[in-house]
Amino acid sequence: MAGELLANIYFKEGYEVQFMPSYGAERRGSPSNAYVRVDKKRVLNRYSIKAPDEIIVLNVTLLPTLLLKENGLALLNMSKELKIKKSGAKIYGVDANSIALECQLGTPAIPLVNTAMLGAYCRVSGDFSFDSLKKVYEEKMGKRAFKNIEAAEKAYERVIEI
Amino acid sequence: MKRLVLGGNDAVAYAIKQSYVDVVSAYPITPQTSIIEKIASFIGKGEMDAQFIKVESEHSAMAAAMGASAAGGRVFTATSSQGLLLMHEVLHWAAGASLPIVMANANRAIAPPWSIWAEQTDSLSQRDTGWIQLYASNSQEAYDLVFLAFRLAERVKNPAMVCMDGFLVTHTKEPVAVFGEEINSFISKKETNALLDVENPIAVGALAFPNVYMPLKLEQNNRILSAKNVFYELSNEFEQISQRKYNQVYTYGEDKADVALVAMGSNAETAHLAVELLAKDGIKAKLVKVVMFRPFPKEELSKALEGVEKVVVFDRNISMGKGGIVKDEIAGALGLGNVIGVVCGLGGVDVSETDMAKVSRGVLDGKVKDDMILWGEV
Repeated sequence: MAGELLANIYFKEGYEVQFMPSYGAERRGSPSNAYVRVDKKRVLNRYSIKAPDEIIVLNVTLLPTLLLKENGLALLNMSKELKIKKSGAKIYGVDANSIALECQLGTPAIPLVNTAMLGAYCRVSGDFSFDSLKKVYEEKMGKRAFKNIEAAEKAYERVIEI
Repeated sequence: MKRLVLGGNDAVAYAIKQSYVDVVSAYPITPQTSIIEKIASFIGKGEMDAQFIKVESEHSAMAAAMGASAAGGRVFTATSSQGLLLMHEVLHWAAGASLPIVMANANRAIAPPWSIWAEQTDSLSQRDTGWIQLYASNSQEAYDLVFLAFRLAERVKNPAMVCMDGFLVTHTKEPVAVFGEEINSFISKKETNALLDVENPIAVGALAFPNVYMPLKLEQNNRILSAKNVFYELSNEFEQISQRKYNQVYTYGEDKADVALVAMGSNAETAHLAVELLAKDGIKAKLVKVVMFRPFPKEELSKALEGVEKVVVFDRNISMGKGGIVKDEIAGALGLGNVIGVVCGLGGVDVSETDMAKVSRGVLDGKVKDDMILWGEV
């Protein structure tokens, strides 16, 4: 969901986009990846991304399995303290679990953090306006958009560089 | 016309919604399922006026589609992989009965072992069933080819399948130009004639002695062959509305190239980038994309490959004990001796432009002399 929303936000800002889910036999709670490519011209690459320029991690237990380009950008859902070795990468964190629960998105066992994380990403990437995010949430979620926009706003305000 | 971010499956479902379809008969299978889920939802919400027949298998899905088509309806179904294989017998029946059914196939690898990912061995195994086969390499093509497939199938009285790589096209979302009412003038033209008439009962598919069978089969062969010229006509009509031009074969890059990269489906998207990589190294390269596989576009391919020093065919499929299927078809039909086949991407394995460019350079330099399998370090 986060990947598709993100592709739609960039598209609203006038970019050519590609959203590619990585499918397995997923069910809620199991790890899954989705790739978003953004360009000024039509995206032609039809294969998965091994080492992205930027990465949004909804669950940090997956960190050991992930690659990032040197000097890339990582945005982490930090529901607890993390020890991170400093590298060339720009690393940002936000406690999206708490935000999701404050906004009644999901349950303590499965907080729905994706819409909050995109709010934080809007801030740290500086690639698109919060207004575009809001419009896409409204188009895709109808009445349910309200809580999700609220979560995105909170994450936008609370995200910090690590 | 507005642009929406759609996957191939979404795009096909939208096209069906706009295609005045009477009957949809289908059985779910990954990665096709979201097509028929969307269509069922359109029908359920009253946004589409069609009958949805739920069936117990793909064999039945095609049998029901045949009945509805024989009664004069415009009929759609969708399937993938094992489902398509289960339909195999009925595919011959539908084509032999000249029923203009349109089917979307999500190209998916064949078990065992189970795989849900992209490979074209499923639809290429149906090569000889008498169906027209069109291959989409992105969501826009999946959308457009559905409209063309209906008109083409009905004009030549022959079923047609629109194939797209599982996940790499079906679920990969990108901007697609979607028609408003401007498509109506094109798609509302129905040329279906009911084969069956309750007032005048007939038997279809009865026993034919050799002297009857053979001329009927030759007639069937001529029917599907005629799809090539009809495709030109329809694609011109379609271009008037869409400003998008479809040919049996699409080319990109240097007109007079030293090396041609041939691909079908999603690999053809990435191959654009391989052509650009080769150009940077001063190599004159072109992409030759097969859009129509059946009937076989011999004339257009021959034109596209004329004067090319080396031809490299990237096949996301395999005929066990032989190799890439498209490579064999091209080398065989055109009688070419300069074609190297590269089997790649089976079961959804990534194929990148750097791999494609490296192999193509190797073929041009004479380092790759034989058909090969792209696996591991290139």
